[in-house]
Amino acid sequence: MNRRTLVHMLFPVTIGVVLVAIWQYLVVAFKVPAYIVPSPWATLKTLVSNWSVLGHATLFTLEITLLSLLVATVLGVIIAFIFVQNRMIETAFFPYVVLLQVTPIVAIAPLIIIWINNTVVALTICSTLVAIFPIISNMTLGLRSVSPGLSAYFKLQNASRLQLLLRLRVPSALPNFFAALRIASGLSLIGAVVAEFVAGTGGSNTGLAYQILQAGYQLNIPLMFAALVLISAIGIGLFALMTLLSKLVIGRWHETEQEHRQ
Amino acid sequence: MKSPAIHVKDLGLRFGEHVVFDKVSFTLPAGKWVSLLGASGVGKTSLIRILAGLMPPTSGTITTSDGKPIAGRLAWMGQKDLLYPWLTIRNNIALSARLTGRRSDHQRVDALLSQVGLEGYGDQRPAALSGGMRQRAALARTLYDDKPIVMMDEPFSALDTITRTRIQALAAELLHDRTVLLVTHDPMEACRLSHQLLVLASASGGIDDSHVLEGAPPRAPNDHYLLHSQAQLLQQLVRANA
Repeated sequence: MNRRTLVHMLFPVTIGVVLVAIWQYLVVAFKVPAYIVPSPWATLKTLVSNWSVLGHATLFTLEITLLSLLVATVLGVIIAFIFVQNRMIETAFFPYVVLLQVTPIVAIAPLIIIWINNTVVALTICSTLVAIFPIISNMTLGLRSVSPGLSAYFKLQNASRLQLLLRLRVPSALPNFFAALRIASGLSLIGAVVAEFVAGTGGSNTGLAYQILQAGYQLNIPLMFAALVLISAIGIGLFALMTLLSKLVIGRWHETEQEHRQ
Repeated sequence: MKSPAIHVKDLGLRFGEHVVFDKVSFTLPAGKWVSLLGASGVGKTSLIRILAGLMPPTSGTITTSDGKPIAGRLAWMGQKDLLYPWLTIRNNIALSARLTGRRSDHQRVDALLSQVGLEGYGDQRPAALSGGMRQRAALARTLYDDKPIVMMDEPFSALDTITRTRIQALAAELLHDRTVLLVTHDPMEACRLSHQLLVLASASGGIDDSHVLEGAPPRAPNDHYLLHSQAQLLQQLVRANA
């Protein structure tokens, strides 16, 4: 592990440890009851003792998040490909893509949940609707933002439309794509959690949002915090995964990944 | 390789009411090196892009002495964004082979890398190279393309003096039988490498193609004739800008 990586890990971890220590100290020092704010230690104990329920819920939320991220990525990229083929298509359809972005998911989730019987499918659709916009928007921008200098050479070589797409537009769009993926990974998690809240379904298909709802009804605040910790952990894990993926694919050539060489 | 002459007649470019240049006529002689100079903003880059077929003119015609089109016979080296950042230097140089479905000639790529002083950098990405090294890699690609017509837009601007002098000599040697158009801001470079100079003036001034240089390029930097031509060129540039 080089010094830069160490610093990148050490700094946030140190800040995290310090904040948790302050939190623990304040709760103990001021004798804050657990039903108002539980201490980190109480939260951890609750997390461990309820792991069978929370672990299952985590897997369910993670499943919805990953499914919707996958669907949003595939659909978003396909839509962006279609958009860059023709300006008219983009002009005609882009306002409807913006509509997806500006419509609050809590407003349309109940409809989707009523229309679709299968909970997993309904939640995945809701979450996909939240996550897809940055993929379409960034990918379209990336596919269009080919440097004139680079496209001139392809033009002079009489490159085909397919060569232009695969050898020039797609690699040029990769930095935008990975930036979108980082945003979409967070949004798909938010979408999954919000959709679960709206659905409020019980039974075996329950995720972390349902656990938070239940804990709230029972005033079991430590359990609520434990579920929140797990949601945050999923979010941070996904972001780190997308960053790693971006580093692996474009790290060797894209300037944003080259800072350490300067 | 038979390089054609290129005849430009009454070429004009305007954007709405704004006239960039109008009724520009000149000839790029077959197998000769011609440099195009002029103040910033007079339309040098637009002119070379029109000749390369990268943008259409508003008016005028471009023909070749053999009647065949320029397209497909042209090697191009632009001003910036020369290399594809995701490809290695080796793959950048042999890109035309990949685009036309031919096998890339590794030996030739290695020879060119060595000629432009980039031995050992073939497997690096452009991000690992300095600006000057990237320009040299782009020059290697232009040479790899091996076309009878070569158009270059300020190709040596990012090089240090020593490397520039060396690369200019190399380019002059390797492109000696091609029809070359070079856009440059450097009077020394133009006089050192060219058979003829073109000075583009502002919209109404047209183009001055009267400056023909004797002898074969590349000329030695301390050549009296080169220094004399350079002084003459400076006067031309001042007149064009007046």
